[in-house]
Order: sequence, then structure tokens, then C-alpha cells
Amino acid sequence: MAVERIMERYTSRVREVTLGATAEQGGTRSHTITVGGDSTLPFLHFEGEVPHRPVLALEVNDVPPAWHQLLLEHYRDVLDDPGAWAAKAVRQFGADLVCLRLVGADPDGENRSPEECAQVVRRVLEAVKVPLIVIGCGDADKDNEVMPAVAEAGAGENLLLGIATQENYKTLTAACMVHKHNIIAQSPIDINICKQLNILISEMNMPLDRIVIDPTLGALGYGIEYTYSIMERIRLGALGGDSMLAMPVIVNVGYEAWRAKEANVPESEFPRWGDQPTRAVLWEAMTGAHGLQAGAHIVILRNPDALRLLRRHIEQLMVPNRA
Amino acid sequence: MILVGERINGMFRDIRRAIRDKDPGPVQHWAKRQEEAGADYLDVNVGPAAEDPVEAMKWLVQVVQEVTEVPLCLDSTNYDAIEAGLRLCKKAAIINSVPADRPKIERVFPMAKEYGAKVIGLTMDRKGIPKDAEARTALAMEIVAAADEFGFPIEDLFIDPLVLPVNVAQDHGPEVLETIRQVKNLASPPPKTIIGLSNVSQKAVHRSLVDRTFVAMAMAAGLDAAILNLDDDALLDTIATARILLNQDVYADSYLKVFRSRRR
Amino acid sequence: MGLTGLEIYKQLPKKNCGECGPPTCLAFAMQLASGKATLDACPYISQEAREALQSAAAPPIRLVTLGAGDHVLEIGDETVLFRHDKTFYHPAGIFIEVGDDLDEAAMDERLRAIGELEFERVGQQYRVDGVALRATSGDADRFLRLAQKAAAAVPWNFVIVCQDPALAEPVVRLLASRRPLLYAATDDNWEKMVQLAEEHQIPLGVCGRDLDHLAELVTKITQRGYRELVIDPGSRETSQVLADLTQIRRLAIKKKFRPFGYPTIAFTSEPDATTEIIQAQVYVGKYASLVVLRQAWRRSEILPLLTWRTNVFTDPQKPIQVEPRVYEVGDVRDDSPVYVTTNFSLTYFSVEAEVEASKIPGYIVVVNTEGTSVLTAYAAGKFTPEAVAEALQRSGIADRVKHREVIIPGHVAVMSGKLQELSGWKVIVGPREAAGIPAFVRSRYAA
Repeated sequence: MAVERIMERYTSRVREVTLGATAEQGGTRSHTITVGGDSTLPFLHFEGEVPHRPVLALEVNDVPPAWHQLLLEHYRDVLDDPGAWAAKAVRQFGADLVCLRLVGADPDGENRSPEECAQVVRRVLEAVKVPLIVIGCGDADKDNEVMPAVAEAGAGENLLLGIATQENYKTLTAACMVHKHNIIAQSPIDINICKQLNILISEMNMPLDRIVIDPTLGALGYGIEYTYSIMERIRLGALGGDSMLAMPVIVNVGYEAWRAKEANVPESEFPRWGDQPTRAVLWEAMTGAHGLQAGAHIVILRNPDALRLLRRHIEQLMVPNRA
Repeated sequence: MILVGERINGMFRDIRRAIRDKDPGPVQHWAKRQEEAGADYLDVNVGPAAEDPVEAMKWLVQVVQEVTEVPLCLDSTNYDAIEAGLRLCKKAAIINSVPADRPKIERVFPMAKEYGAKVIGLTMDRKGIPKDAEARTALAMEIVAAADEFGFPIEDLFIDPLVLPVNVAQDHGPEVLETIRQVKNLASPPPKTIIGLSNVSQKAVHRSLVDRTFVAMAMAAGLDAAILNLDDDALLDTIATARILLNQDVYADSYLKVFRSRRR
Repeated sequence: MGLTGLEIYKQLPKKNCGECGPPTCLAFAMQLASGKATLDACPYISQEAREALQSAAAPPIRLVTLGAGDHVLEIGDETVLFRHDKTFYHPAGIFIEVGDDLDEAAMDERLRAIGELEFERVGQQYRVDGVALRATSGDADRFLRLAQKAAAAVPWNFVIVCQDPALAEPVVRLLASRRPLLYAATDDNWEKMVQLAEEHQIPLGVCGRDLDHLAELVTKITQRGYRELVIDPGSRETSQVLADLTQIRRLAIKKKFRPFGYPTIAFTSEPDATTEIIQAQVYVGKYASLVVLRQAWRRSEILPLLTWRTNVFTDPQKPIQVEPRVYEVGDVRDDSPVYVTTNFSLTYFSVEAEVEASKIPGYIVVVNTEGTSVLTAYAAGKFTPEAVAEALQRSGIADRVKHREVIIPGHVAVMSGKLQELSGWKVIVGPREAAGIPAFVRSRYAA
């Protein structure tokens, strides 16, 4: 019996964003990474194009983080050197790109100067040749001092810089425009703010193909379904022709998953939750996998074992399927 | 909401003259201008005064396609003119229109299938336009059943419940709105609905206000498309707002600006 | 679900006799569609057409149940493709496979572990739905013994994975009162499998080679009159299963394609437990009604999958709530800070996570705001000084701490004075967003 399949006819697609720049393009990366371009829902190859596989970033901090032992054991030898850390993330663990978090800039922490932060960025750019994501410390005022210096230090490298929010996007947008970088536009689990922030950034004449959406994906078990649905609506909006939702999506999975109790408590305290190493890896990998199903293009992770699981998963999802 | 620009119509003096003098200027001016205003289709009508409707349609289709890639809505009661136009269309067009009249149905649906065109079906037959919604819907049903019979996809069929001017046929307004609602129950997936919006305000004062009030009401009833005056910014803002209120677009504070600039 | 005019018209005799009242069949069809007439008015309607109309009026996906008594598992009866369009109604059933080729000790151990796969997290109870018994050895005695052990060790539901009706029959007989799913009817065995399922009134899995073949097989079975079905397109690779389950769901819901109007079952194929859990995650969200795992069974593997199932089947229209009471985060003492927030789960868990991240133990007093966030609750008059004061008093927090300082969300700073007056507690205005808690509390309370 020949069953007539339902093929959705979408009018539009997700915009492509390219990260990094090679020598010919004015940078020093060995290659660029392009994300987005999808003309259908995640991995429905049978009715549209998924031209680029989602990519996986590992997070690198500029100061040794207060992470859980289970994470630190992977990085113990490189915690003091962001360059070596980045190199290990790429060469040993196979990260597609590196996400450098400038935690050291935090005024409540080491309160590093913009120039010190820029120096770290230079160091990481020398240490690895993959495209780079750089995220500030989260203190809005301090980030507004630090990120312009970072943008300048990385001029020509076509970085992805974050984080712009509705309350604080102008300085970062301006810095990205001057030095030709891409920007992460973050909204707090809110599709209306997501769209408005993209509009606000584009009104500063930032090209739409240099914006990446961070919809704030919560961890598995902690409201992930809210963002999951928002991401599905973002993708449907993009496919339906809403150009202010048609940006690729980044999800900060390592950070969120490791805030979850399930990643952090040992089996001795919660015997009925099973062994912690497996549970923690899966908490992070599953959070990332839900992001992929909802339409994420860039997944930032912490645990190399979670990266390994998602790498295999993405390969399987990218196998062409038929209707 | 599918927006069809109404302006390339021989009823307008500048277009009528342009057709007569073979002067592409006004036609191409309106083609570009309506495209910039966000037209999804451009209605193309040679008007009642054209000497040779077939040749006039061919000429209009050609000159419009020289300046825009927006698909066309070929508007004529002369099906030879429509077929001549369809042959030249670079993108799938809409045939505007067919009434619930068997010989015309038999001419239009095979032609639409051949050219991959969509079809506007009018809720009228040889006897004219019925007043009440039940009778309008019954005529729509005849067209839906005919489309199905010819193997024409129902989702490519637009039912036009025929809006009449409020200053002469005020009692038709609610019937049109009710017809838009009922048409959605005729098939699954249902046919789309379309109206010639400017008809409602013919010779009325406050034309723009009448148009935009009616379009919002019709959208709430489920309207999918309208042939309208894209030169009216207030009307476009109303449509943008109705789309937001009906949860058809995602709200953002700057939604009006986004809607106006969506073609650029 | 009502039928459209066109769906009805297609089934009418098209004689236009007018004996039903309206002049034409088309007009009659429209009256039927709007509920103004009944089919009985047509003297010429065929039995076949009548049945077709009745089945067309049924829900797009049939509700099928496994189990009996306290352990009924309802699957199917979904109405949307995206949870934001309404909700997903029936959480995917999760089963763990055990083969009859395991040795006795391993079999006992595995079944015991499965029978204990119950969890508690964030105040909710999770558990797997049962065990899938696979006839691997081809030995009828071994298969029956596995079923006997499973029946004793696992209190929930069963899938009988066996395509040989003779081998399956004793196990079906043994478990029939617990209404297992018999998997599966195929090209070769379907007549006997239908007979077996029908005799014991249990649901039957149908496994096709692909979508076309599945539709054909289901049609043959339903023509025999059996409709308690769970369907499987036969694919096992992640990408293709996603495509097939998506088409099945689309065709069932958007086209009411009857052969696909049944719950679905998906089997994982990954060779190790962790990758398998991630593969199963795809099927739980899109769009399997039952998922059978073959490798994973340890608690640390199952908990993430069950959590995902709970998340994705949460009704987006009903905010989930936490119980309004005092919660302790970390090793609290009588001088630990006291926070108040609302009982909207997302709000509560954000606060909880940040208090935990601050590394300064604290108490959280949750006010019942009917599952709304701080600002929404404040605007709706559910997070008022009166409500907070009452919650503080009722919670008994005063007996647990020696101080009288309470931290309120920065967004409701305006209630400070009134709250202080009503409660007698000193009100400290905290940060507006939960993310500000660690910095706030460290600057204030760190020794």
C-alpha cells in the first residue's frame, strides 16, 4: 500500500552563521564553522535540508573553576593555563570549538582587567586553531569594559561573543560591529524577548547573519520543557518566514546541567539515584540531546564524556532518512 | 495572511491608459511599490475596457515579471486570457476566479492542474450572490466537491464569500463573516478564504477605517488572504496587530516595524 | 471530532433524491456536518459508508491500554505534533528487555533490579513501566520460566517479544490477566497472532518492514476486526525511526489516516547503555508510545530518561507547582538565611539551585501562589504581604532559626514595610533574579 507522505512546505529557513576566519579571510583559524541553514525541523532530512551538523563546544575558564571533582579530573593538568586547557579540549577530547568564559573578570572574584582578559583570549587563539566563543563574567558593567577589549584583541578572527541581553546589548553589539564578530543574544526563557532583542540588535545595523540565539535552556528536570517548546516555536517561526527568529541557536548545557542536583550528589547520599559518574554524564548529555531535538546548532559542554556521547548521537541523527 | 496587491487593474485610470498605450511605466511602478509593501501576490486585471483581453493580459504579465518575482493572481472572467497569462507566468499563479457554475468549473480546474495554479472560487452561481451564509456556504461546498472530484488539492483552493459595499448592502457583512467561519468545516484540510477587501468600502467615506475594521473582523473569523490596497499603512498595521492578537506571529515590542519590513 | 462536509459527502449515494429533506446529497452532507441532521434520514446509505463515517469520527489515535488493576498503562490518544499546541497526554511507556537466554542467576538479578526501578525526585514519583520478555533461545520452557520469574519480580506491565505464536502461547496464557502487549504480528504470522491476541483480549504489536508495508498489514488486521494494536514501522536506526514516527503521527493527526491511528512502539539499537538512553530520548519526545530498552537498566541510566519523560509530558498549560512549605538547602543551622519565593516550580527550582550554588545553606519558605511566578503572583494579588506573613507563620520556620530576618525577591521590594509590620520579621530585599543570590548572600552572610 503506497501511503502518501505528508511533506511540510515551509516558506523560509534558518539563517546560516559562519564562525572563525582563516588566513585568507584575515584571521588565523585553520577552518571556519558554519551553522544553521536548516529548511525543516531538526533532522527531518526527508523534507528539507540540514546542511550543517550541530557542533559541540567545550567550556574553558580563564581561572581554575570551582567545578565538581568529576569534571576537574579531566582537566587537572591544565586548569591554570587556558591555552593548554583549550588545546586539550580540541586535540584530546575532540571539541569542534572552544567556549572561553572570562570568569576571572568578575568583580566579586579576581576582578581581572580588560587587558588581562584580552591577553587570555590571545593566548587561547594561539593555542588552538578552531573558531572561538568568548563569554563574559556575567557582571553587566564589567563585561561592558572587558568585551570591547576582547573584541579588539580578536579582531579578524570572526569570534562569537556573548552575552547580549535586553538590558545590556549595545556595548557588545557595537564591539562586534567594529571588529566584525558574531553575537550571542540571550533571552530568559521568553520567545517575545528573544525576538525583540534580535530586532534591537539588528536596529544597530548588526547583520542578521551574525546573531545567534541563546534561549536559556534549563537543565533536564529543571524546566527544560519550557525552553524546549520555545525552541520549537522559534524554529517554526523561522521556517514560517519570521526573519527575527531565523537565527541559529546556542545552548549552554554544561553550565546548566552542572547546576542540577542530579549531577552533583554522590550515590552515598542518594543511593536510589544510582552511581554518580554515569548519572552526571547523562544529565549533561541528555540536556544537550533535548536541545538538539528542539533545534540547537551549537551545544556548549563541560564533560568530555558527554561530548563523546553527543558526537555519536549527532552522527546518527545526521544519517539521511526517507519519508 | 496572504496579501494580494489590487492595484494593477484596468479599473484604475493610470493602468487603463498604460494598457491602451503599451506604456509599462505605471504598471511597473505599482508592481515594485506593492512588492515593497509586502505583497505575496500581485493581482493583474486588464479591466473591462481592454480591446483584446488576451493580448492585454499577456502584455501585463510580461511587463510585471520584468520588474518583480512576486507571483501573480490572474484576474479575469475571460478564461482564454487567463490561460494565455498562465503560460507566461514564471511562478505558480492564482486563477481569479471561478463561480459555482458547472461549465466554468470544468474549464478552470483542469487548467489549474495543468499549470500548477491555485484557484479562487466565488460563492455565486448563475443566479447571482445569495444573501445568507448558509446559501453562500452551500455554493462553496459545490466548488469544494468539484475540486475534490478533479483531484485538485483543497488547500490550494481559496473561497471568496464576496464582500459587498457597506453603503448599499450592509446586511451582507455578517453573512460574509459567518461564511468565512463555516467554510473551515467543509473539508479537512479546509479550503482557504479570501476577500476583495476594498469592495466593502466602495464609495463610503472613511474608506481606510472601514477596510481595516472589516479585515480585523474577518481575520478573527479565520480569513487567510485578502486582495487589498497595500498603499494603506494603517491597514497593514491593523493586519500586523490582528496577526499578533490571533497568535499567528510571535509578539515582540517592535512587531509593527518587523511586519512592514518583512520583504526586505 | 466532527466530520467535514466533504468527508460525509464522499460516503453518500449522490442520488440527489431529496428523500432526506434537503434537495441534494451535498446539502444533506452539510446538514450532517453541522449536526442539523442524522444519517438515518438517508434511506440509501450503505452499511459500508455508515461504518466508514463512524470510524472517521473516532479520535485520530486510538487509546490502547496495557495492564490491569492498579497498573493500567494508557497509551495513544494524542492530538498534536507539538506540545505547545496543547499537550502530550499519555507519557511514553518505558520497558526494559530481558532475554530468556540469560542464565538463571543473571535473570533473577536483572528482573529484581527492574522491579525496583522506582525513583523520587523533586517530590515526584517516577518508575519504569515494566519488562519486555524476549524469546531469544527458541526454547519454550526457558521462555515460560522467564515469564514466571518476571511475573513474580515485576509488579507492572509486560511486553511479550516473540514472533512464534506457538512459543508465545503459554506465556500469553500465563500473563493474560495482566494484559500484556503481544509483539508482534508480521507478514508471516499475523493471522495466528491476531487469533491469540483476540482470544486473550490483549493488545497486539504490528511490525512492518516500512511505512507502506505497515499500513498494509494493519489494514489486513483491522479488516479482520481487531483494533487493539500498537504499531512499529520496523526501522531501528535513530534517524529513520524519527522520520517514520513523525510521518505516522502527522498522517494520523493531520490526515486521519486510519492505519496509522494507533499507539507506536520503538526499540533501541545502540550497543551500550549510555548511548542507548540518548537514542531513547529521541523516541520519548517524538513520538513513540512505548520505548523498549535493551542495554540500560541501572538506576543512574534510567533516572535521566524518566526525568525527560516527565518533563516532555508536562502539560504546558498547567504550571507545575511545588508543595508550599519550608525547604532546606544544604546543612542548615539556626542562623542560616531564610528566603521566600512562590510555588511555581520553575521559580522555586531556580532559587533552590542558586542557594545551593552560593554554598551557604539556607531555608526556602514557599508561598502558595497557585503555580505563578513572583511578578505574576504579585500582580494577581497572590504574593501579598498578608500571604507571605501567613506562610512564614504556618511554615514553623520561627522554630528552626533563632534570627528573624527574611529575604524577599527584589521585584517585590515594595511590600517590605507592610510585611515587616504584619510578620514582625525584618525584611531584607534580595536580588531581582535568582541568579543574583550567590553574590548577594555571600556579601551579606559569608563570615
